[in-house]
Amino acid sequence: MCEFSRKLIAWLDRELSVEDTAEVERHLAGCSECRSGVEAYKRVSGEFGEYCDATLASNARREAPRWAPVAIAAGAVAALVALFLAMPRARVEAPVPHSSQVAIAASPAAAAAAVPAAIRPTMRRVHRRPAAANVSIRNRDTSPLQNQNSYFLPDEPMIQIAIPADEMFPPGAVPEGIHFVADLTIAADGSAERLSLRPRLASYERRTTQP
Amino acid sequence: MSGDAAHLALPLSRLSTGACEATTLYSELRKPLLRYLVCLGLSSDEAQDVVQDAFLILHRHLASGGPQENIRGWLFRVAHNQARNRQNRYDRNFSAASDAEMDAVAHEATPERAVLEKEKFQQLGKAIRLLTASERECLLLRASGLRYREIGEVLGIATSTVSDTVERAIKKLAERCNV
Repeated sequence: MCEFSRKLIAWLDRELSVEDTAEVERHLAGCSECRSGVEAYKRVSGEFGEYCDATLASNARREAPRWAPVAIAAGAVAALVALFLAMPRARVEAPVPHSSQVAIAASPAAAAAAVPAAIRPTMRRVHRRPAAANVSIRNRDTSPLQNQNSYFLPDEPMIQIAIPADEMFPPGAVPEGIHFVADLTIAADGSAERLSLRPRLASYERRTTQP
Repeated sequence: MSGDAAHLALPLSRLSTGACEATTLYSELRKPLLRYLVCLGLSSDEAQDVVQDAFLILHRHLASGGPQENIRGWLFRVAHNQARNRQNRYDRNFSAASDAEMDAVAHEATPERAVLEKEKFQQLGKAIRLLTASERECLLLRASGLRYREIGEVLGIATSTVSDTVERAIKKLAERCNV
């Protein structure tokens, strides 16, 4: 057996020093035995990874029912978002912030009061919790002038909805302190253009953003 | 207005890079961690519990100002130790998997492939079962993309030992699978 065979796997894993790497590569150019060895090690490493993936998939399939409540929760979130998309459309049509628009843009408290009342039955069915869903809504900017500008900048999320992870997933499914933020972009014509849901570490954020 | 905003999500502009990193880590490492734990022999449920615990511990670690270097290796180490604490199920899959379970795994990997390939896959499964626990752990961590140094930190062994163990294990598999 070739003396280099002991270094081939470490070479494949890029774990050798610069000198050793160069030495192995020079040797590989002239040794067909080591080249076929490298090919075999590479193949078996790939197959080992595939075997691991298959083991994970096979286990997940056997225990699939665990995901059912999560799917239901995801459905509930989709319903919440659909409801929210439908609600403000009529009132955000005009680009100038007159009184009806201010009702949405500058009074998140009023909007927040409206949404949980509507979605509460769905959230409760998922989690069987007596408490109301703590969904809060805010507009991204606070001054009316900035609000007016934001209608012409559809790339900026205009409304953020913070949803505690507890409201969407079974207890324990998401580590403590993580919540979700839904970014909603509303186009100039008042239609909803884009929506994205992002996980956030709540308390870590607070700690790192305070001076 | 400011009172309303106090308990709400922070706007994007004020997010720290650290928080973004932590959420990126979660989406990137969740699956590799699950795969490692399930292959160690934990059930899918247990593996998910362990991963959530590990991220919770990470969250506390970062929140208390703990060092932020090599978080990936750190997470695998925490998950590994948590798995060790659940010894009752440990090693079930790879060292003592039933033939029916191995058939299911082979079928999962090769649903469309020829019978010959399926047999080869089962042969690989048998070869993996014959490895020592330490050899399996090294290969699993290596398959998760960890460097030898990181593997050594997770398992509490020297880097040179990792190198020898990986080499021995891969050669055993290559030999037994006739590749």
